[in-house]
Order: sequence, then C-alpha cells, then structure tokens
Amino acid sequence: MGDASSWLRFETENRTGVLRLNGVWRLSNLGAIAGALQSFAPEACDGIVLDGSGLEELDTAAGFILCRHLEEAGCAGSALTLRGFQPRHEKLLDLVRQRMTCPPAAARAQHRGALERIGVATLNVLRLLRVHVGFVGVVASELLVLLRRPKLFRFKETVSQFETICLDAIPIAALVTFLIGVVFAYLLGLQAQRYGANIFVVDGVGLAVCRELAPLLVAVIVAGRSGAAFTAQIGTMKVQEEIDAISILGLSPVQVLVIPRLVAIMVALPLLVFVGDIAGLAGGMLVAAWQLDISVPSFIERLHGVLPMSAPVVGLVKAPVFAAFIAMIACRMGMLVARDARSVGLNTTSTVVQSIVWVIVLDALFAIVFQHLDI
Amino acid sequence: MDKDTVNRDGTAVSAVEDPVLQVEGIVTRFGATTIHDGISFDVPRGQVVALIGGSGTGKSVLVREIIGLLRPAAGSVRLLGVDVWNSGPGELSRLRRRFGMLFQDGALFSSLTVAENIAVPFREHGTLPAALIPPLVGFKLSLAGLPPETGAKMPAELSGGMRKRVALARALALEPEILFLDEPTSGLDPISARAFDNLVRVLSDALGLTVFIVTHDLDTLLSIVDRVIVLSGGRVIADGTVGEVKGSGDPWIRDYFSARAPAG
Repeated sequence: MGDASSWLRFETENRTGVLRLNGVWRLSNLGAIAGALQSFAPEACDGIVLDGSGLEELDTAAGFILCRHLEEAGCAGSALTLRGFQPRHEKLLDLVRQRMTCPPAAARAQHRGALERIGVATLNVLRLLRVHVGFVGVVASELLVLLRRPKLFRFKETVSQFETICLDAIPIAALVTFLIGVVFAYLLGLQAQRYGANIFVVDGVGLAVCRELAPLLVAVIVAGRSGAAFTAQIGTMKVQEEIDAISILGLSPVQVLVIPRLVAIMVALPLLVFVGDIAGLAGGMLVAAWQLDISVPSFIERLHGVLPMSAPVVGLVKAPVFAAFIAMIACRMGMLVARDARSVGLNTTSTVVQSIVWVIVLDALFAIVFQHLDI
Repeated sequence: MDKDTVNRDGTAVSAVEDPVLQVEGIVTRFGATTIHDGISFDVPRGQVVALIGGSGTGKSVLVREIIGLLRPAAGSVRLLGVDVWNSGPGELSRLRRRFGMLFQDGALFSSLTVAENIAVPFREHGTLPAALIPPLVGFKLSLAGLPPETGAKMPAELSGGMRKRVALARALALEPEILFLDEPTSGLDPISARAFDNLVRVLSDALGLTVFIVTHDLDTLLSIVDRVIVLSGGRVIADGTVGEVKGSGDPWIRDYFSARAPAG
C-alpha cells in the first residue's frame, strides 16, 4: 500500500497519456499522496487524460494538491481531460480549480535586527510619553469643568472605586509592610547589637518605614492591584465599544471613568500608607521586643522622642503624587487598548511596569528635592 | 489510518439509513427556566438544515449541546454515530476532527495571524508534512473567498465579514463531514451575505457536506436551505422544507415569513 502506484498510475493508451487515480484521496493520507505525485512528471502534457474511475474518496485538500502538482508540471487546466469521475468528485475538482488561482498565503513579517528593535522601542517610549502628557492635559481641563459644575462629579462611582482600591487592599498592604518592618529591624538589630546600640534600632526603623519603605511598597502594591484593574476594566470597555457609547450619550469618558478613579486612588493611597506605617512599626516593635530586649513601652517612648514629625509627613505627601501617576498611566493605557482581547493583556502588563518604574523614579526625585530643602 | 478511512467510507455508503445527526429528547434548564422541553430531530448526510426561532429560544445553546460544549439536563445526541454525552475524551477528540464549527463572532485566536489561525487545526490534528501546510492554508483562504494577502494580517485588522470568512476557512481546514454555522450572515452586507450563502451551498454540493445553520436571515432560508426546523417555546413547532414550514398555521412562523412580505 505504501508505494506510489497505490495512489496513481501513469499509462499510455493509444498514444495518449492516462493518469489513473486510485484509493482514498483524503487529508489524512495527504503526505503519502504528495509523495506519490512527485513520481509523476510527464514530458508533455498535451491531451493527458485524468481517469478518476478508481477514486473512492476525494476532498478539497487532496484535490488542491493534485491540481497544484499538475499546474506546476505545466499541465494547465484546459489541456486536461477528465474521465470516469463520479459527478461529485468532478464538481469538487471544478471548485478547486476555480479557487486556486492565487499564490500561497504570505508568511508573517520578517524578524527585526537588534538595532532596529532598539530604535522602534525608543520611538514607542517617546510616543507613549507624548500621549501621556496630552492625556494629563485633557484630564486637567476636565477637572476645571468639574470646578465650575461640581454636580458632574460622580460620587457613587468614586466611593465604590475607593472601596476596592483602599478597603480591599488593607490586608495585603498591612501584611507586606509588617513583614518588611520585621526584616528591617532584624537586620539592623544584628548590626546594632555588636555595638550595644540596641535602642538605635528604633530610630532606624521609624525613619525607614515612615519615610521610604511604607510609601514605596504600598504604591507598588496599588500599582499592581488597582493600576492593572483600571487598565483591564477600561480596556475591556474599549473592546466592547462601551467608551464610544459613553461619548455618544453626550457624556465625557474622562468624567465618567477617569476622574472617579483618579480621585479615589489619590485619597486611598495616603490612607494605605498610614496603615503601612503602623504595620511596619508594629513589625519592628515585635522584633525589638523579642530579639533586642526593647519592651513595647520603651520602643514607643523612644520613637516619640526621636522620630521627627517630618518623616511620616514626607511619606504621606509622596503618596498622592504616586497615586496620580498610577491613575493617569493606568487609565491612559486602558484607553489605548486596540479592539482585540490580546491588547488588553499587553496594556495591562505595560501599566504595571510603567507605574512601578515611575513610582521609583519619583521617589528618587523626592529624595533629592527634600535633601535640598533640608527636610 | 487506512482502516479509519475505510470505516468512514462505510458510513458514507450506508448514509441513507444512518443519519449523521440524531437529537433526541433534549431538555435544557437554566435555574428554574426551561429552555428546551424535549427536542428531537434527525439530519441525513448532505442536507443543508436551518434552525430558526425567536431571540432567546436557545438556538445557540442547542448547537453547543450538539457539539459537546454544554451538557443538557436530559436527552441524547448522536453525532456521526458517536453518542456525544456518553463517550470518553479520546472518542470526543476524534469526533471533533470530523466536524467544523463557525462561532458567531468568528472566535479567531487574536494573538495569531490569519494564516496561523487556519494552520492551527492542521498542526494540532493533522499528520501533514510541514511543507504542505502553507500552500493548503493559502488554498483554504481562497476557498473561503479571501485574497492571499489576508494571511499575514492580525484578526483585529479584519472587518466583520472577513473574520467570518477566516473562521469558515478554519472550520473547513480538516475537511469536516458536518459544519455548524452560528448566524453566519449576521452583520454582513446583503451582497457578502449572499456570497457566503452560495459558498456554503457550493461546498455542500461538491463535498457532500452536511450543514447545520442557526440563522435569522430569511434570504439564507429561501436560497440555499433544504430543510427548516423551527424552535419555539422549547419545542420544535415545525420541521420541513421552506414551503411546508411557510404553510403551517403557527402565528410566529406566519409573522416571520411576512416580516418582509412587501419586498418579496
């Protein structure tokens, strides 16, 4: 069964070539059929007869492979005579010959070289920065509209966003900052113990947690949690044309979708940072009591004495700025979603990466500015 | 492999007495609502059958039950001789290579190009040499009436009509014996819709393909369909050729066919 003659046989009858097709010409046998066809390469095609009387089954894939081979061998459709085909097989071959006039589908675009990819990526980043700046302008002008007509503010939507951004995030924010407080106090304690300077752990933990660790970590958590959610929600609405529907109803998508999220996250983040401060200090307190023999009352008393009020205030001031950047990036990336499911995923990933990078860049800028202001 | 095709050949020969699709006593409930209340019909090989009914009568649900995506509360489905709801995963997977399904919005994989979408069934199920896949994909595209450049595009770049054609090309990839179409012409302009209908009819005639269409399109019904099954109130209220169904006295059917009466 394996050799070519089980599929086709080329014979000469009365000086005309006859190509007899045999067996089940179906997709499942296509590999063998294509192999068998390779053995058929006539010198001249004129007057070749295609005999289908031995053909049991024929589907479009096999028909296509047959016609393609005949065409490549130079036997154009008109020079062929069909003989002995079942009517439905003849119909099918007609259909195949009608439809196969085009070349095979083009392959996907070539892969780019390293230099070109760097260039494309750079241009994309610049373009993204430009649209972000433009978006900030749009949101600012919509906020001005809101100042003149405060009734436009969507209070209910804002509160419901606040609930998911802030209240639902309290456990995870508290857990992460608590653990960081534990780790930080433990490592600092190991060093301080050598010099018998246990009590200075309180100074270090207080400053680090309130000024840097809690704001940064909480912002990163919120960027991953709520930033990603914003992009996915708005992006899905974009895919479903809901954003267009909002505009057509005479509403502003920025008023309906962006401003409630922006306000909610700017209120929520400082509150979460405060929760983080408390949890981080609690973590430090636990380690201090356990490892360094600093009792809870003396920890609190020392903290009261050495922690300048500016440290937690600096942390709380940074939070709304982080929040504004996260909201702007997330909402903008949601609006930029194309009309397919894949781009929702891509943009969501991009939001998280961009927000975290921006939070850290901003944190560095704040550090420099506060340094110069002696705060 | 040969044995398999001989078996298939056998079923083809005995097609007259052995229908490709038997639906018996299907009951579907979503919570307290009963969608289907005992639906039965047979479809013989090579027929083009349309399933019609008002919105919310569970037409798409019925198709999902037939092809094994949604389990009915009661009843049985025999598709190409296989009891869909009483067979193992291996048997189901073999069955799924033998029918094609065109989903309402095409359901193309959005991360793959058009050509890659059509190549998926070849790569996953076929025993094809890799060199044969690109020309076959090109041929399937043109079989569905699309120019070859379409192959390099992403699904998001296509119009609704083109998506449907690509989905049809993918559904036809493995040379199915039965094709399910869920509202194939909705959202197409009348010219594209008629072209799509003709394509389906030509394929059905040439390939001996059985086609099961869920549709609202009266023109599809009048032009290419051999038989109409009407679903209403969870039951089959009419089943026959377009002429027979049209003549039945049911008010919904009368309204349906007269919805366009002035033009026709």
